[in-house]
Parts: sequence; C-alpha cells; structure tokens
Amino acid sequence: MNTGNRAWLAVFALLLLLACGRRADLRPYGEGTDRTAPIFPDYREVTVPGNIAPLNFYYTDPQGSRFVTTFTAAGQSVTIRGRDVVWKEKEWARILATGADMEVSSQYKTPSGPMSFTWTVHVSPDPIDGYLTYRLIEPGFEVWDDLEIVERNLSTFDARPISDWRNTQNKCMNCHIHAQGRGDLSMFYLRGEGGGAILNRDGKLRKLTLKDSTMISATVYGEIHPGGRYGVFSTNVIIPGMHSFGNRRMEVFDTASDLCVADFDGNRMQTFPETARPDVFETFPVFSADGKWVYYCAAPVKNLPAEVEQTMYSLVRRPFDAETGTLGAPADTVWSASERGLSVCHPKASPDGRWLLFTVADYGTFPINHRECDLRMMDLQTGEVLTLDEVNADKSDTYHSWSSNAKWFVFASKRGDGMFGKPWFSHVSEDGSVTKPFLLPQRDPHFYDTMTRSFNVPDLGNASVGFDAAEIGRVWREMPAEVFD
Amino acid sequence: MTGKKGRWILGISLAALLAVAGGSQVFFLARYPYFRKYAAQNGVTLREAREAWGHPDAISEQMMGLAVEASLENWDKVAELASEDRKTLVGTYYYNLANAHRGQLADRLMDYYQPFERGLFLPVGEKSTPFQIGCAGDVWFALGDMSMAERDAMLGMLFSPSHTGSRFLRRLAETNLVTGDYEAASKYLRMLLNARQDRKWAREHLPEAWSPQYAARIEQKRALLPHFDLVHGMDQTQLILRILLNSNPSNRMALDYLLCYDLLTKDLDAFVGDYVPSLTASHLYEEAMLIFLAAKGGMDPENFRHYHISEETLARFNRFVTIYKRDEGSGKNLTEEFGKTYWYYFYYAVRNEHR
Repeated sequence: MNTGNRAWLAVFALLLLLACGRRADLRPYGEGTDRTAPIFPDYREVTVPGNIAPLNFYYTDPQGSRFVTTFTAAGQSVTIRGRDVVWKEKEWARILATGADMEVSSQYKTPSGPMSFTWTVHVSPDPIDGYLTYRLIEPGFEVWDDLEIVERNLSTFDARPISDWRNTQNKCMNCHIHAQGRGDLSMFYLRGEGGGAILNRDGKLRKLTLKDSTMISATVYGEIHPGGRYGVFSTNVIIPGMHSFGNRRMEVFDTASDLCVADFDGNRMQTFPETARPDVFETFPVFSADGKWVYYCAAPVKNLPAEVEQTMYSLVRRPFDAETGTLGAPADTVWSASERGLSVCHPKASPDGRWLLFTVADYGTFPINHRECDLRMMDLQTGEVLTLDEVNADKSDTYHSWSSNAKWFVFASKRGDGMFGKPWFSHVSEDGSVTKPFLLPQRDPHFYDTMTRSFNVPDLGNASVGFDAAEIGRVWREMPAEVFD
Repeated sequence: MTGKKGRWILGISLAALLAVAGGSQVFFLARYPYFRKYAAQNGVTLREAREAWGHPDAISEQMMGLAVEASLENWDKVAELASEDRKTLVGTYYYNLANAHRGQLADRLMDYYQPFERGLFLPVGEKSTPFQIGCAGDVWFALGDMSMAERDAMLGMLFSPSHTGSRFLRRLAETNLVTGDYEAASKYLRMLLNARQDRKWAREHLPEAWSPQYAARIEQKRALLPHFDLVHGMDQTQLILRILLNSNPSNRMALDYLLCYDLLTKDLDAFVGDYVPSLTASHLYEEAMLIFLAAKGGMDPENFRHYHISEETLARFNRFVTIYKRDEGSGKNLTEEFGKTYWYYFYYAVRNEHR
C-alpha cells in the first residue's frame, strides 16, 4: 500500500470513529439509582403476549464489555452481540411465533471477571389488544406545552399522533379512553376555545359540550357505557397544591365533585340528587362490564387543603338503568375507606366482568405523586381483594386499563425516577395471579434515558381509532360543538 | 470575460460573502455573549434561539446575562450586571437575589425599581413569559424550597424551545440531590453525563464523587428544608416562607424575603407579625415599623428600643411627616430626600397591573 492510500485509510478510520460517536455514559448505576437491574428495561422473567414488539434492551453495567446474549425457544436460537440488544423485527417475530418461552443467556466481561446469568421471557398464548393510546405530557404542574395523544401499535414500533398541539394551536387535551377496549368507541377532551368532548363512535367524530347550567363544571373523569349511548362522568372543581416536602411534589384535590350521565343520542345531561350531595365528593365513575352498575369513588366533604390527609374515598356502586339513563339507589359500599384506612381511585372493570382494578393511596384523589399508591384487584365474584404484589413498585402505580379479552392490563408507573410515568403491562390468569410487568418496548433501548415526558393514562384498544391529528384539527376548527341540556 | 477570470471573480465574491457572514456572526457573538450562553443552557443553536426569542437587544442581553450568571451562582457578577436599573421584572428579581446572598436584601430594596412583590418572586402563570418562568425557581432554590425549585425547573424546561437544556437538568438533578432522591437525580445526571458541555459538571455531582466542598453545600441546603409537610397553593408565597421559617428560624434569607414581601405588598400587619428584630435588622424595617407605630399610637421609647429604631431614623421620619403634612400629601418635595425610603414607597408606589 502506498503512502497516499495509507493517508486516505487513516482519514477514513478517523471519520468512522467520529461517526460512531462516543459511547453513552451509563452512570449512575446500581443500588439507589434508577438503574438497579443488570439490564434495562428489566425484561428478566416477564410474561409477554405473542403479539408484542421486540423487547430491545441494554446492559447497564458501565464496566461491562463483550456482551453476548443468546435467546433460545423451541429449538431455535438467536445470538445478539453488543451492549445494546436490538432485534431485527422479522427475527423476533419468527422466534415469538414458536409460542415457546425464550431461555436467555447473558454473558459479558467485567474488570473483576466474566459475568453470566440466565433468564426467561415467558410467552403467553393470550394476545394483548394491538393498540395503546397515551398522552405525552411533561410533568407540568397545571400548565402544558406541545401536548399530543399518541396511538402506538404494540406489535411494531409504529406510533402516530391522534391529536396534537400542531393542529390545535397548542390547546390542552385530556387523555383518550376506549370503551371496553374498542377502537370504534372512544373519547377524549380538547379544552379551551373551540374544544369539547370528542366522541368517536362507529367511525364518526362528534364534538360535544358536556355541561348544563346545573353542573359545577364541565365533565372531567368518566367512561362510555358498553352500549355506546350513554356516558357517566364526574364534574369536579379541581385545585392543585404543592407539598412542602421536596419529593412529595404536587397534590391535587377536589373542593366539589358530583356525577352526571350524558345521553349521546338525545344530547341530554342528567344529574341526580343522590350523586350531587354537597356533603359528599363523588368522582371517577365507570360502568360494570354488563353496563348495569356504575362504580365510583365517594368521600365525606373535608376542609381542603387543610384536611387533605384525612380525605378518604370509598369504592361505591349504584345500579344503572340503560333504558332511561338513570342512576339508581341505594348506593352499595364495595370497599370502605374508613375500614381499610386507605383511599380509592380509578376503578376499572375488566371487560369480562370478573375483575375490578383500582388504585389505593394513603389519602386523597390524585395519587400520581403518591409513592405509596398501588394497584388492587377485586374479584367481583367473591369480593376478594388481591394486593398484586408482583405488579406494584415503590412509586406510584395507577392509571390502568384492560385489554378487551381481560387477560392483560396496562398501567402507568413512576418506578425508577419517580417523576415520569411509563406504561407497564401485566398478564392476569383465571385465578387472578398476575405476572411481573414489562415496560413498553421501544426501538431504541435508550429511549427512556432521555424521555422527559410522561405516558399519561395509557389505554388499550383492540383496533386503531381510525382518526388522526389532522382530522381532529379540522373538528376543532370547523365543527360546532353540540349543546347538551 | 474568460472562464478563468470568471471563476476568479466568483471565488472572490464567495470569499467576500463568507467573510461578511462570518464577520457578522463574530460581531453578533461579541455583542451578545450572554444570548449565546443562554441559548446553550437551553440546548438550542443560535438560529433556533433567534427563531424562538427574536433578535436580542441590550435589555434581553442583560436579562440573559443575569440568568446565566445566577445559574452559575456568580452573585458578584449578577450584582454588577443588575447595577443598571432597566426597570424590568427579571432585572429587579436578580438584583434582589444578589443582594439577598450578601445579606443586603432589605437594606438595598428601595434603591431599585420594585414592581411590588413580583420583583421578589417572578409570577408563574398565563401572563408570564417563558423566560421569566425559566428564572423563577432560582429564588426558591436559594431559600431552600426544593419542591418549588423543582416545579419551576420543570416548567422552565417545558417552555424552553427544545424542551430540555442543561440549565434546567442541572437544577433538577440538584434539587433531588438535596432532598436525597437519588433515583430521580440519577436520571438527570445520566442525561448531563451524555452532553459534552455538562459532562464535567455531572461527573462532579455523582454522589460518589462529591468533593468535601460540595458535600458541605448539600448539607447546607438540606438544613434549610422544611421539617414538616403542608399542602399549599402555588401562589401562597407568604405561607411557603413561613413553613421554611417554622422549620428553620435561622433561615435569614427566608425571613428577609418574607418581610420584604410583606412590605412590598404594603401588608404592615403581616410585617409586624413576622418581624423578629433579634434575627434580622435593616433601616427598611425601622422605617416600616415607624409607619405602623405612628398609625397605631405606639410611638414610645420602649417600642423604639424593642424594634431597634435609631434616633437618626426617627428624626428623618419626623421630617418626612412634617413635609407630608405641610404639602397635604403631595410627594413633590419628598422625592429627592426620601425617594429611596419605605415611607415614600408606602405612600406613593402604585401597582401597575399591565407591566
């Protein structure tokens, strides 16, 4: 090789080095940090559905090198070398299609010697709904900027905004919920001028003003009846506050809250004296799977914020008449806050009618910054409440939703950094046993390292909602809001 | 024109254009160094910064300089930059904060434009600019309220053009280091370790790498933290300061901020309730007490002794009152001699809601 060629080769090598960039610094790592496991996301011993996107991850030990990971399932084997374990999607689909659990061997070198461990990815025969919607929001303490609601295909890494700031002049938007996991029956709110409740029903979008003169606010939390005609909602006067302790952060409480029912066919709002009592807070109403009951949270009114730590919500239900759209009486207390010394929020009935998943916290009604906030699951056949120890972590676990086959649920957890909620999935067996949850996989295993937005209210859907952010922009700009009275 | 000549002309023209463009850039950077630094702290290029914030001018350059130097805790430099009173909220805010770090908040309060309490705590709300929001947490961090400091850093990041920036990530890391929430801090430290300009800072702030000086600083900050929890509104400034003081009565900066807040809002009843003469002193407080005592009929030697009111201040107050009465409330003959007293502020400062 002549001198000129050598020079070119040196320049090429230098350029290659520059192009490769500097290796990511993985510190802090280990006990006391948000990266305690040897891999992130920690997919060891998780159970996944056969239709999930590749579980890409990376090894967290900054001292490690020469990583070799071998996956074996039903006699097939795939080896991936390197710190970042990133699957080729076809290869992942091929090995997942065997339906067999994956046995994984991890080997790498460290300054103190070779390291190796084996683990398993359990593959469930139960599929999960194919779509997940969530709002991406920075923990903004009352304010927002550049909000978007995204629909993610869970079998791939494809994600698209179904409503965003670009098409709505940076309007506030609240989270999108499916009814019974249906892609063709869902809703969310666009707030502010030109906004309203956006109802997606049978491929048609409507913009609704869900408020009448007797209500204390427009509708806030709620759910659509399985039949699609009604929605049950709470109306809330919501006040944000701050804890003086540094890492307890924000506390949100209601100074008033009632329930109402919207008739989407008759454009009618109904309120009821029993659920508009001035001495009781009523919130988070949802329907039972058969639509015959409304579950919600209720607490005696307190002087807030002074008595926020004494505000305890019980789980209550009332009969619902789908012929007339009315809430009946009396109310049954399903789970008593005073007996348990805990406060309930966010009940969600499984679509098969078997389970009721809800959140408990030490007090209050807005537990996303409550570290102690955990999920509980009630067997509606027996009344037994399961503590879901396999699922809960030492940070807030809440905002859950069911897959339409009732075999999976997703929830937002702030485990790790404590600030940014991420979607985790867990499988539910016939007997109510749940599996170690797994984090929503991403194409780039370092995705969550730099993510400074929360995945707010992750909600599963069995089909795509069909609309997109541009269409929502047109609805916002051009469609008059239907009046309810 | 031959081809060769044409190429020469083209080459020279291009070189001239590049020189002008480069020169213009050099000139811009020399004229607005803090614009560049503030853009870097927000993780944006100069072009992105100009798109987001417009072209800088002398006022924005001063404000960005204040924000940059305050983030580095160069309080002498902050004081120097703030010495030119351009009558801006941010200018006053950093003027006050620099003085507070030197124990001179009250003494020098009336020497500068004071837009009521907004010069002590920048408002964070719908009418606030993203720049103001990005600066609002500095005072809370100094006072020891990590909850509010974290909130404002998060909001600052939310409203920064690229929704990130070392300015905010560093503050988020530090607030969590102070509260001992290493899991939260580790997220921000990792992000900073992977940014070229922040790598050194982040390495030094990894808990296992703290210098004795930094460990002492963290301990100092931890000593300011509230010892009990109370839920408060985000705009309940006096309550937040009282929580800090209830936990740590020796937090002199919090006490001065509370007293100055009372005085700038002309809430003399609150001032008298909050004032502890044995813990802090200033001619400003003497002046305020005299208004209160005169109004409540407490002008006696015992009160003067208790509130450390000097004979000189009393004599000046009497002179102020004499002129005030003589001119039937007109301030025209008071401005020169008393324009920088609390008495003048109390009687003549008018809140301008539009600023």
